[in-house]
Amino acid sequence: MAADARLQPVSIFKSGAGEEKAETARTSSFVGAIAIGDLVKSTLGPKGMDKILVSGSSVTVTNDGATILKSIGVDNPAAKLLVEISKVQDDEVGDGTTSVTVFAAELLREAEQLIAQKIHPQTIIAGWRKAVVVARDALTAAASDNSADSEKFGQDLLNIAQTTLSSKILHQHRDFFSQLAVNAVMRLKGSTSLEAIKVLKKLGGSLSESYLDEGFLLEKKIGVNQPKRVENARILIANTPMDTDKIKVFGSRVRVDSTAKVAELEQAEKEKMKRKVEKILSHDINVFINRQLIYNYPEQLFADRGVMAIEHADFEGIERLALVLGGEIVSTFDHPELVKLGKCDLIEEVMIAEDKLLRFSGVALGEACTVVLRGATQQILDEAERSLHDALCVLSQTVRESRIVYGGGCSEVLMANAVRQLATKTPGKESVAMEAFARALCQLPAIIADNAGYDSAELVAQLRAAHMDQTSFAGLGTVTHIQVIELLMS
Amino acid sequence: MENKARPKKAFQNREKPTACRESNIAAAKAVADAIRTSLGPKGMDKMIQGSGGDVTITNDGATILKEMQVLHPAAKMLVELSKAQDIEAGDGTTTVVVLAGSLLNGAQKLLDKGVHPTTISESFQQAAAKAVEILSDMATSVELTDRESLLKSATTALNSKVVSQFSPLLAPMCVDAILKVIDPDRSTNVDLRDVKVVKKLGGTVEDTAMVEGLVFTQKVATPTITRVEKAHIGLIQFQLSPPKTDMENQVVISDYTQMDRIVQQERQYILELCKAIKKAGCNVLLVQKSILRDALSDLAVHFLTKLKILTIKDVERDEIEFICKSVGCKPIASVDHFTPEMLGHAELVETAATGDGKVVKITGPATPGRTVTLLVRGSNKLVLEEAERSIHDALCVIRCLVKKRAVIAGGGAPEIEVSQKLMEYAHTLTGMESYCVRAFAEALEVIPCTLAENAGLSPISTVTELRNRHAKGEKTAGINVRKGTITNILEENVVQPLLVSTSAFELATETVRSILKIDDILNAQRV
Repeated sequence: MAADARLQPVSIFKSGAGEEKAETARTSSFVGAIAIGDLVKSTLGPKGMDKILVSGSSVTVTNDGATILKSIGVDNPAAKLLVEISKVQDDEVGDGTTSVTVFAAELLREAEQLIAQKIHPQTIIAGWRKAVVVARDALTAAASDNSADSEKFGQDLLNIAQTTLSSKILHQHRDFFSQLAVNAVMRLKGSTSLEAIKVLKKLGGSLSESYLDEGFLLEKKIGVNQPKRVENARILIANTPMDTDKIKVFGSRVRVDSTAKVAELEQAEKEKMKRKVEKILSHDINVFINRQLIYNYPEQLFADRGVMAIEHADFEGIERLALVLGGEIVSTFDHPELVKLGKCDLIEEVMIAEDKLLRFSGVALGEACTVVLRGATQQILDEAERSLHDALCVLSQTVRESRIVYGGGCSEVLMANAVRQLATKTPGKESVAMEAFARALCQLPAIIADNAGYDSAELVAQLRAAHMDQTSFAGLGTVTHIQVIELLMS
Repeated sequence: MENKARPKKAFQNREKPTACRESNIAAAKAVADAIRTSLGPKGMDKMIQGSGGDVTITNDGATILKEMQVLHPAAKMLVELSKAQDIEAGDGTTTVVVLAGSLLNGAQKLLDKGVHPTTISESFQQAAAKAVEILSDMATSVELTDRESLLKSATTALNSKVVSQFSPLLAPMCVDAILKVIDPDRSTNVDLRDVKVVKKLGGTVEDTAMVEGLVFTQKVATPTITRVEKAHIGLIQFQLSPPKTDMENQVVISDYTQMDRIVQQERQYILELCKAIKKAGCNVLLVQKSILRDALSDLAVHFLTKLKILTIKDVERDEIEFICKSVGCKPIASVDHFTPEMLGHAELVETAATGDGKVVKITGPATPGRTVTLLVRGSNKLVLEEAERSIHDALCVIRCLVKKRAVIAGGGAPEIEVSQKLMEYAHTLTGMESYCVRAFAEALEVIPCTLAENAGLSPISTVTELRNRHAKGEKTAGINVRKGTITNILEENVVQPLLVSTSAFELATETVRSILKIDDILNAQRV
């Protein structure tokens, strides 16, 4: 009845929308974020485990936090935020995606307890802001910079690569791959664009059979009857249809009154194609690369003139190809003088596994190189590519920002100590928040120790005591013989 | 899940990862068990029914796994493993999966004892590296000129397949085929596409033949011409039919006399084309399949028959390169390019009647290019396909010998030898590694065990006897399934290429390691 209707709460949302307030909202945020943190916790560190992601019929095996988080479906908005952070870390730096997520989750876990103690969220935030400033200062003070000494810097790069790869599938072949990554990055000579490094995956063989090729490899074949090997190549890169020229108006039709005329038309079409090829050849080239198909007739014309023609060349990678060879991508051929040709010393056919590839060596862009990955299964290959990508990102960032700190939980405990000291000096509830921050920081080495199967509480306590000296750089040596070094930025 | 009384480790909560790992290992073991019975000369074949109702009978591990619909992701990884072994070595696809299953079984026992997965993984890696070393020591090197050893390897590869009784016929064929396409001094790899395997239903497997040249199963357009000697072969990529532009065209006539003229013109046009072909001296014509229009019009066929040119149509675009390599012709895309230099030459082109159709054989190419064709016959489709796969395996085996010129004895001998040496090596290590390497060595014994089982022998007594003989120093003692005892396998001519075994060990270990590292399965929405 009418009276009842007025007593019902007024609903202002569309059906399906909802609203959560105050306590419930906060709790659901905490729950969501902590769930995500727990999910990826077990992949942290050198003894971290991988996860299988099943989607439809395809299977992926991965250790990389960003990849795992990108693929799972989350409803909870706080959890979605954490996924975003991980993505940003991936874009910015490349590694440490799991660490950042776990740290955020730990902070929220601590915050939950503080809220239960009736501390106002703004107090917590203020306390944490101060803690962050102190932590960053402590970190910067502890960082060392070896960029002046090139030999030491090289050694640093190697160690960084080894650290990055130690938690991934390439762990076993760490030395081999870190050397490979360092070589590839050194060739880049300081640029952070990884465009010039191409990663090629070929099923078969084992990971240790992967190698770095100084040239550029393209997975395409040369046309029939064309020279299989060209030296001092002048290359024209084009994006033009080389099958028959159609007028792109739908329903266009030609009307003639005799078959002879049709034959003439056919001949005219052929002439047109011939003239196009002539125009291309007038650029004085010996290699022609086209993004689209090259049909039989023009292929033969090229073969007659001894020009190597490559068709359907790597649809997405044509940009990289142009960059590497130093040429422009052309669509029309009327002005040969205005066109910039690509150059390289040698093009030849090589065979990897069962496939034939083209190898461009001595390319205009000296930084270009290709990493050929071999592996036992497709999943291993994909994971190896992701791990290598992480290592390359980190290394290229280091070349730009060359300060380093020690890993293995060392920098975390260092920062935690600095924050704790500030907390003892601060009056008021903010100090409680700061202590919580320090506790969350210490969780990271605890998780690494857990994953390795050691007694985490014992080890972290020992670490803290060691750092009280202020002079030592102690860290968890779960792998006993390497020096663990991490980037400042992550 | 059974609740085993597992020693509770302090300060750890390991339930979810353990459950996941056990499920992975169980799935992988299930796959390995499924194909265990196909291993060896007395191994059985599997009949697989596809979703469309088509049936496949096969012994080849990679094929069985490919056709099996596996859901579990860890099992899918084993399918990939088999594929990788196929690409790398060609044979030993069943061996590698059985090996991986057995290694996982060993790993399971170690996990139950509380060893950390990464420790197991590292030790397995070490053990695998040592195993490859031991195998290389055992191997005897072989020269490509030594046809005998090549024959022995090919025979061993064929012996475990359906076509094993025809191995005296097929093995020499495969060896000769490969020897023809490679340059014995320089080659380190063989492109198997140079050896074309053509299937034709009819006859029995005994009718299989090697043709030094080409075989076409496509229809002959000019059926009255059956034999051409001293053939000049032209390969055209254009169409012998009335001209058609790529846009739509219409011929509009206003007068009935014009109708006549059109027919005349068409005739004239095609006659011109055919005459040009004849003028170049071509007497055999291969026409590429065209998507644009009819490659060969009836009128053209009529003219070609009159001009005594044997014509084959519907040649696929990807066969073009193979044909060019074989007979030395160049593909011609337009009639103005049709000159005598573009033609290939052959001694004889003839059609032969077989079963339900005809094939065209081109033999004696003037420039024996580096290609060979194997014409495989079979009494039914299933046997035919299995024969093709078996031949492919045998070809791969010989390719392995080209890549790495060493062989080792078969019959389970290498596995037992490696197992023993690894046990000794384990004694020199300390700590967990020693335990894990020992588990690795024990797991290797599954191969001779399975071979014995499949042959109907008692596995335990056979394997212990084998171990005994190896301990006495008989490196090449292996299981002889024909006689049912242990003999010196090398003398029985059962050998396999070194590459097959090393690749199997390496790949299996790599896959096992990556499975051990997994602790969770998530359902992703988009990867």
